[in-house]
Amino acid sequence: MDKCIACGECAAKCPKKVTDTFNAGLATRKAIYVEYPQAVPLKYAIDAGSCIYLKNGKCGFCAKVCPTKAINFEEKPVSVTLQVGSVVLAPGFSTFDPQKLDTYQYSQYKNVITSLEMERLLSATGPFNGHLVRPSDHREPKKIAWLQCIGSRDINRCDHGYCSSVCCMYAVKEAVIAKEHSAEPLDTAIFYMDMRTYGKEFESYYKRAEEEKGVRFLRTRVHTILEDRNTQDLVLRFVDEDGKLIDERFDMVVLSVGMETSKELAALARRLEIELNADNFAATDCFSPVKTSRDGIYVCGAFQEPKDIPYSVMEASAAACWAEADLAPARGTLTKTKTFPEERQVADEEARIGVFVCNCGTNIGGIVNVPEVAEMAKGLPGVTYVEENLFTCSQDSQEKIKDIIEKKGLNRVVVAACTPRTHEALFQETLRDAGLNKYLFEMANIRNQCSWVHSKEKDAATAKAKDLVRMAVARTRLINSLGQPTISVEPSALVIGGGIAGMTSALGLADQGYQVYLVEKEGQLGGNARALLSTWKGDNVGERLAEMIARVTGHQRIAVHTATSVKASSGFIGNFETVVSGGGGDKVLRHGAVVVATGAEEYKPKEYLSGRDPRVFTHLQLDQAIAAGDPRLDSADTVVFIQCVGSREEERPYCSKVCCTHSIKAAIRFKERKPDSQVFIIYRDIRTYGQREYLYKEAREKGVIFIRYDLDEKPEVSDKGDTLAVVVRDHVLGRKIELHANLLVLAAAIVPRDNETLAQMFKLSCNSDKFFNEAHAKLRPVEFATAGIFLAGMAHYPKPIEESIAQAAAAASRAAVTLSKESITVEGVVSHVQQFMCRACGECERACPFNAIAVQEVEEGLRAAVVKEALCKGCGMCAVACPTGAASVRHFGDRSVLTMVETAFAAEA
Amino acid sequence: MAEAAILREGKAKKSFLDELREMVPAGNLSLCLTCGLCSSGCPATGLEDMDPRKFLRMLVLGMDEEVLKSDWPWMCTMCQRCVYVCPMKIDIPSMIFNIRASRPRDQRPKGIRNSCDVAVASDTCSAMGTPVEDFKFVVNDVLEEYRAAQPEFADMEAPIDKAGAEFFINQNSREPMTEPDEMVPLWKILHLAKVDWTYGSKAWAAENYCLFLADNESWETLVRKKAAMADELDCKTYLNTE
Repeated sequence: MDKCIACGECAAKCPKKVTDTFNAGLATRKAIYVEYPQAVPLKYAIDAGSCIYLKNGKCGFCAKVCPTKAINFEEKPVSVTLQVGSVVLAPGFSTFDPQKLDTYQYSQYKNVITSLEMERLLSATGPFNGHLVRPSDHREPKKIAWLQCIGSRDINRCDHGYCSSVCCMYAVKEAVIAKEHSAEPLDTAIFYMDMRTYGKEFESYYKRAEEEKGVRFLRTRVHTILEDRNTQDLVLRFVDEDGKLIDERFDMVVLSVGMETSKELAALARRLEIELNADNFAATDCFSPVKTSRDGIYVCGAFQEPKDIPYSVMEASAAACWAEADLAPARGTLTKTKTFPEERQVADEEARIGVFVCNCGTNIGGIVNVPEVAEMAKGLPGVTYVEENLFTCSQDSQEKIKDIIEKKGLNRVVVAACTPRTHEALFQETLRDAGLNKYLFEMANIRNQCSWVHSKEKDAATAKAKDLVRMAVARTRLINSLGQPTISVEPSALVIGGGIAGMTSALGLADQGYQVYLVEKEGQLGGNARALLSTWKGDNVGERLAEMIARVTGHQRIAVHTATSVKASSGFIGNFETVVSGGGGDKVLRHGAVVVATGAEEYKPKEYLSGRDPRVFTHLQLDQAIAAGDPRLDSADTVVFIQCVGSREEERPYCSKVCCTHSIKAAIRFKERKPDSQVFIIYRDIRTYGQREYLYKEAREKGVIFIRYDLDEKPEVSDKGDTLAVVVRDHVLGRKIELHANLLVLAAAIVPRDNETLAQMFKLSCNSDKFFNEAHAKLRPVEFATAGIFLAGMAHYPKPIEESIAQAAAAASRAAVTLSKESITVEGVVSHVQQFMCRACGECERACPFNAIAVQEVEEGLRAAVVKEALCKGCGMCAVACPTGAASVRHFGDRSVLTMVETAFAAEA
Repeated sequence: MAEAAILREGKAKKSFLDELREMVPAGNLSLCLTCGLCSSGCPATGLEDMDPRKFLRMLVLGMDEEVLKSDWPWMCTMCQRCVYVCPMKIDIPSMIFNIRASRPRDQRPKGIRNSCDVAVASDTCSAMGTPVEDFKFVVNDVLEEYRAAQPEFADMEAPIDKAGAEFFINQNSREPMTEPDEMVPLWKILHLAKVDWTYGSKAWAAENYCLFLADNESWETLVRKKAAMADELDCKTYLNTE
């Protein structure tokens, strides 16, 4: 495997075509293959079940053409025994197989496909390069229907009573992308029961899909699909919301299949002796959402419960946090540090450039005349050595480059080959092995940006390759070694917010051995959880919270500061200095990282007589009334819940995520304590995602009645003396229902606190709903764009306890990546300011997205912009904004960039 | 809409749905998600401005009076397309059956009731009251006609009361009485497949309107009569063509 350079010659020659399972069977691949273009490591593998040589002993074309002799037919599977201190399970999920749903004829009708197949159809790396065509005739569809809940929320045709959590959102996404991929207007229709867009920014995406993109949402389900045998079009029969039968023709139907645990995975769980729940997901509890039933074994992702990417990534970091805590004493004991020879000083030397031109097998060499390019390079100023290689990236080429650098005394290297995205780091390491600074390297992209795109115009491609090499060489003469300063790290963290999220982060870091300062504005720890009764799984919140508070206050590495607020902060990753003010006056804390876990609060409704009538409660008020034993609760004959009070409206367009589950849990309690009470839940969509769906089922089973309303006809509440009259139109019969409630419970929205103050102090950003913005929704869900600052809990978005805990442990894990280092090495490509040209106007400071440059007093009476190199990502925004040219980015100064431009347009030498 | 609001006051009262739940304990009658799958597949959707979803909803909301008054349950064909796909496996056909049974017999639809009564009174169990001799005559007459007209089926048989035949096959009365030629395709298939079969001269009728009338006693009487005929002829298998 070490020898494979992923050139693809083997697959090009392999005569055996097999079905490409990664592309959901919609395309073919060869018996030697990489599963997908982003595979890590990017190495070819032989599918032994299909390989002609391995089956019949003949063929072996791949071995003949492989330039690096990487193919070894003798390789056999080997068993390896590893001694480990903890195990993290992240095995993912399988999709439900819709073949057994005979009314949809997935295996018979070609144009009925699964959502996973749709993903491949829409993908640029998919079977049709992202060109949207239907399977039967490869024509562009004009109408596509998505059918939701295929293999989810169903106890009849499959055994999956749970909701798969992700299908609503992916169907909306697929519909929007399909529209974008269509040259002609495309009609898209989603058939659903409840639209479950409960994640951060999901509801607004759903509304945009409907209102701006014109995706149709039909709240009904299709009984049967019939295929027109001549056209392969599909006729769907369904009733509308009034009960009118409709037949509608579509070109394609996408079945939004749910998630499940495969039999193989369930068997693995049994071997590992971890407990699975009734749906074959790993059993966990809400206060330790990634811990399995067996100590030391952790779980993350959809094997725990169906979930989307952001939450899977959070859980992954959470699992790492707890595994790190277990292993804290052993940290670093098995790591090795690579050493490099001391760097040569080249600043005073004349440029001695080596140019290596790669053929990339036939990828470049088959199009571009490489010998001609190499010959041209020999004549360029500063070039002392030129060589062409079949594969410049192969292991033996690295040895050779290192040798030549030393023998020829090269002080700069240009490689003309594929792309720096995949190969720059490799060549830079070779330079360092040869005693050169890694920034003395430059790459000319003559494959991805030349031979691949100009494969039909060989002469023009050769001319362009020469231009690219001339430009790279001209620039290389001007580049220099760059320093990579190191900064020390204070191994402690400030956690702002002492609720469940903040305490979890604090414990996660302290258990790993770091000092934590936990700052809570209120007089006591606990936050919103102090008002909550139980989690949806039934854990007693009060008891678990007390245990958590006891652990935090008793922890020798956690300093708790209650009744304390954050006043000011300065510094950057590894070196923050924060002033907090509490009872004993101001205090300065020095710390290397920050976790923001300031939570959110319940909206105080003005609607539905809230605040004016004592029979109207919010969720938190209800939980507190239950805890206090309010006698009115048990005597109520009729209890009515109204959902989405303050959520999913114009003023507050997001979904508060926890309210459906919370109302249903409370409704069940009323029915259990007094079965002859009438309990109604008036809702817009029931969003009991994942296994919370069983609560919804239990509530219906116990006789709770669910009535759906639309935003344009909200329920009406009026005081009738003994009771509160609630009038709502029934969504099935279209008739008004009048309820006489003794208690009215409002599922009030969860609203952000005043996040602006902290945002300004730490240069953090908030979204339009005023919740904090993470750096990237999927890839960096617990980090801020500003390095060293992390995010957890409801300050990010409304969420239930188990998700707050997972996110908080994830934040601790990510913060520990910084805190575990004695020092941080900063990249050399950072901005710098020539002070004499700076007039301290602050344009750079406003432009910088990373809080890395600021105007300050540099000496008595002199103000200028100063770069915090530790925070700078080298993006160049400051250089663009700077009106005087004082700010610029190292390695990409005006001169070296303009030289490239001039070289490109100069007459060929 | 001038319609009065559905009023729900005070405690939950025992409703008709509670009774039905006791009658159909495995019917999941409370689990409705109001998704509409049943109504999308129901041949009676739209009749009387009603469909299975609306009907079950009326029960859930305790509109017992309107439920019991409605003629819509009598339009159900018992085809089971609803429960086949219902994600909550709600047994709507059993529910409908019990709703029908709850109406006094003399108030049930006259057509269905007469068909049931005629069948119970008839030796042949025919809802059309076809006498034994008529059935024999029609079968033999049609058989002879086809044997003569289609020489390749000259040996074809349509046995009646053939003792010891493998299959006892029943026959909907509508064919011998109004569309006699419609019987022949099945005979041809049985002939070509060399199946050993027979009709009974009595209790040969396939239809059973007493089932649709929700008259359990008469329904059972008819089924027992038919089974007894097959037993009398010592047939091994009763093959229901309905």
